[in-house]
Amino acid sequence: MLGYIGRRILFAIPIAFGVSVVCFSLVYLAPGDPLQTILPSDATAEMVAQIKQAYGLDRPLPVQFLLWLGHVLTGDFGMSISTRRPVILEVTGALSNTFMLTSFAVPLAFIVGYTMGAIAGCFPGRAIDRVVTGASVVGVSLPNYWLGIVLVIVFAVELMALPATGMGPKGSAEFSFFRWSDAQYLVQPVVTLSMIPVGIISRTTRAAVSEVLNQDFVTTLRAKGLGEFAVIRHVLKNSAPQVLAVMGLQFGYLMGGSILVETVFTWPGSGFMLSKAIINRDIPVLQGTILFLAMIFVATNLVVDLLQSVIDPRIRRS
Amino acid sequence: MSQTATLPAGARFDDDLPPALRVRGYWSSVGVRLRHDPATLCFGVIVLLIVLAAIFAPLIAPFDPYKESVVLRLKPFGYRGHPLGTDELGRDLLSRLIYGGRSSLLMGLVPVCIATALGGTLGVIGGFAGRTVNAAIMRTMDVFYAFPSVLLAVAISGAMGGGMANGMAALALVFIPAMCRVAETATAQVRSLDFIEAARATGAGTFTIVRYHVLGNVLGPVFIYASSLVSVSILLASGLSFLGLGVKPPTPDWGLMLSTLRQSIYVAPLSCALPGAAIFVTSICFNLVSDGIRSAMDVRL
Amino acid sequence: MNPPNRSFRRAALACAFAPLLAWSAPPQTHAESVVTVAMTAGDIPNTTGNPDQGFEGFRFVGYNLYDSLALWDLSRSDKPSDIKPGLATSWEVDPNNHRRWIFHLRQGVKWHDGCPFTAEDVLWNLARVTDQKAPQFYTLQMALSRSYTTNFESAEKVDDNTVAITTKVAESLFPYSMSYLLMVSRCRAEALKYDWGAYAEHPSGTGPYKFDRMVAHERLELLPNKDYWDPKRVAKHDRLILLPMPEAATRTAALLTGQVNFVEAPSPDAIPRLKSAGMQIVTNQYPHNWPYILNFVRGPMTDIRVRRAANYALNRSEFVELLGGMAMEEYATMPPGTPYYGHPVRYEFNQDKAKALLKEAGCMPCKIVLAISTSGSGQMQPLPMNELVKSQLEEVGFQVEFKVMDWNSLIEVGRSGVVKYPEIDGYNGSRALLDPLSALIKPVWKLHWSPAGANWGHFYDPEIEELVGQILNDFDAETRLEKLTKLHELENDRALMIWVVHDLNPRALSPKLHGFVQAQNWFQDLTPISVDP
Repeated sequence: MLGYIGRRILFAIPIAFGVSVVCFSLVYLAPGDPLQTILPSDATAEMVAQIKQAYGLDRPLPVQFLLWLGHVLTGDFGMSISTRRPVILEVTGALSNTFMLTSFAVPLAFIVGYTMGAIAGCFPGRAIDRVVTGASVVGVSLPNYWLGIVLVIVFAVELMALPATGMGPKGSAEFSFFRWSDAQYLVQPVVTLSMIPVGIISRTTRAAVSEVLNQDFVTTLRAKGLGEFAVIRHVLKNSAPQVLAVMGLQFGYLMGGSILVETVFTWPGSGFMLSKAIINRDIPVLQGTILFLAMIFVATNLVVDLLQSVIDPRIRRS
Repeated sequence: MSQTATLPAGARFDDDLPPALRVRGYWSSVGVRLRHDPATLCFGVIVLLIVLAAIFAPLIAPFDPYKESVVLRLKPFGYRGHPLGTDELGRDLLSRLIYGGRSSLLMGLVPVCIATALGGTLGVIGGFAGRTVNAAIMRTMDVFYAFPSVLLAVAISGAMGGGMANGMAALALVFIPAMCRVAETATAQVRSLDFIEAARATGAGTFTIVRYHVLGNVLGPVFIYASSLVSVSILLASGLSFLGLGVKPPTPDWGLMLSTLRQSIYVAPLSCALPGAAIFVTSICFNLVSDGIRSAMDVRL
Repeated sequence: MNPPNRSFRRAALACAFAPLLAWSAPPQTHAESVVTVAMTAGDIPNTTGNPDQGFEGFRFVGYNLYDSLALWDLSRSDKPSDIKPGLATSWEVDPNNHRRWIFHLRQGVKWHDGCPFTAEDVLWNLARVTDQKAPQFYTLQMALSRSYTTNFESAEKVDDNTVAITTKVAESLFPYSMSYLLMVSRCRAEALKYDWGAYAEHPSGTGPYKFDRMVAHERLELLPNKDYWDPKRVAKHDRLILLPMPEAATRTAALLTGQVNFVEAPSPDAIPRLKSAGMQIVTNQYPHNWPYILNFVRGPMTDIRVRRAANYALNRSEFVELLGGMAMEEYATMPPGTPYYGHPVRYEFNQDKAKALLKEAGCMPCKIVLAISTSGSGQMQPLPMNELVKSQLEEVGFQVEFKVMDWNSLIEVGRSGVVKYPEIDGYNGSRALLDPLSALIKPVWKLHWSPAGANWGHFYDPEIEELVGQILNDFDAETRLEKLTKLHELENDRALMIWVVHDLNPRALSPKLHGFVQAQNWFQDLTPISVDP
């Protein structure tokens, strides 16, 4: 077991290295000068060179990469070009705000999706199955930012029931979900963000449940005279690992994929920061955010793999 | 949008006989099953209509999608021959929706086709060539797999400065690793089967084996996986355009229309809802057709 | 994040199902009167002195935290504003040396940190942005204030209440430049050991507001400076909150839901909805224009007849309609009412005249390439407006090709000038025309030929060049005004730009806000605003 975990972690290291190469080189795909935004409109060539040197952008690329990687490994992601704040502060702040969203959206998606999927899976072919399957296809086919816009108009502007934008009346620094005056800001973004995972989890659950239902042991259980309720309990228990794995992955996807929802609700999370960094061409922030999000995704995958291998030792062999 | 989350765990067929050995019977049975699935056929027809409308847009669209008129801006449905009214520049909304299908479908289909061709080829090579090559290909893919799809698409197209071509390149790059895995798994499964050994023993060259035996077995899962990616691609592409990283104005595109009409949502809420609805309908139809084909081909991903 | 505890699960469940629960909001205990502004900026403007985010940064952060030697008089909405005494009570040019300016400093002014404002502080601030060897030199601030220090040569202390600033060349309009140079506290900077990152979170100035708290990228909260040296400008509310909200739709929604009570630049389409909700819409003309800056080196725009034709081709009333009345037809660089407006040639919409001029110039069809941006500060609604320009120009025989780019790329085009982009016949860049130097002189002056300065298209006209020299050497306000008026008229005669509209800068305010006076300026004074409970 320990050996397996060790190997899995070792295996993640080259991936992490590859990810850092991609993050670093990504921003050099860009046309134009990354310093444009902070220069005045009549800056001279001499001044541009001077500022480039101050930001270390005058060195050859491989040198820049190694320097950057060395700094990153010691937790130094550099300074934001537009705000002059350390990138690590910027990124961790934004990430915790996104985490706030996903930590509600994923459980919500799990509860709703799993319930829907389990019901559909237990009654394959019935009307309820069709309704649930239809709803879950809607979930994965609906542009979620569009849903967000509609929610703002209906619940915030017209009904005045929920706030339209931002994160709490005092900003993210003093946000606490124990106060309704703050927590109400979560409702619309969380619901919007959970739309796609609800669809995915309910589809996965339905498939897993109906597969388990067809297995021999269910027939045996039924033959042994177990009540239908007890059979379903067994079925759900057996299909749980697969669903849990999907849920874990969804967490990683939402951490990296909340950019559209955050844009619609001006939620000060990592996606919002990413789009701002793209507009401002703020290279250190762009690199830092992408690297952090990708690493979180790598870590989530690793944890999901390990958990699955604990639950179901057969997986370890593959 | 994160559908790629359902990892392709390899293709399994309902019986152990590789379909290559029963080709004629298999494909005709798929056809029969599809013909008896009215829902899939119906959604397939809708997809076909959307595609045809986009292709023949100049013949169908009642107005020039670029012709604007300030006095006619944001008019309601049916105003002076504009069936769906006009947009924020007084351009005919129906015409723009029809033309918008062109860029939206292109952004949906082209990346998937590129990814299928490149990712599929790499996967077959990786699955067939064995250790070193396989490791080189698959480990590189793992790196790109380590990015959530939305993040990778936004990061690449954002870094390259947006635009339709960059957006398509970014999406293709997002899909290649997943596609490669599907093809690799399917190839590796076939490779170890006896009939390949038999073919090799009879002196068939590698190319012939791949051409006749491997491809026949890999195409099915790859095709199905590709079909399921189309709707993901359409949604991602519209998201990129919404963020200003995809199609550039004034080209009609559903995601972009959604973003520009958003400013007028208090004046013409219905007009603003239309591009979103177009994305939704197209995406759900592609999804349902893909589901239908999958169950007809009886392949699990 | 708060650490999870026993009630975590309950809270989590409650949040997940919040719409189903009737959960009443806790009563608001503090009756603080707050002005909450939704800015168009994408981020909080820099707080270390001269802000970024364009003039919006000066408007809300710069001039609230800090003062400059000369300040803009923003107290009236009925006439164009000019500079007035700020940290300097008066200034004059040395009669024996026209390059030397004497500034008499205001007495008894205190920084927010309690230190007194001194003559040394002024010298220290100037060195901060001009002297690379000074310990307080800060590259970012140098970059942000460079366009106002181009003509600065040196500064010296005359006595405790007086400083003298020497310019490189004689410039009668120099005090205007000093109005853009914000003074930060030397005391605070030294206490923080010149860590400007820390300074950004603990800024200290002499302005009418003090820094209270900041959540990076989200909000900046300021408190009134009760000891402000100008008692008339002590804020009449308890707190000023600034929120960056680049999306117009978001700003509108935030105002309608009561999350903010002061919104910059709502989308014209949202204005009827805002009015129906009882919001106050305020507008005023201000020195802004939305023109095309032209190429005088090569291409059709070098021909004055083509430039005039383009100006005659535009039906500017359609632009006003497109913008829901939130703009004013623009026939000259400055809006009417400017002291040096004069009687410029008025290029009224006349398609026949335009066609005739093009024919005379032999440019049929007249192919031109224009660079435009998709968004940007002061760019108004660039895409629809440019589309309209294109269709109107094409009606008289132009053939317009757009190069669409993002805002930063357009800024780069503007900075590099016609030398690097000879194929562009003009670019659509909105302009701030606060002072006559940047409004009228820089775009025509040979000294400012790009990339060194703001004369993008390398315009040169001997008559105008001569006039500019006279203006800069004329230290008598009255005769200088006459010459400036002449310059404005001449530029119109030469059809220096293609003029389209002046923005009216709509703002939407909650009905609970009173006392806001929208000055004819890029900057605004928020201190007179009071808030109903």
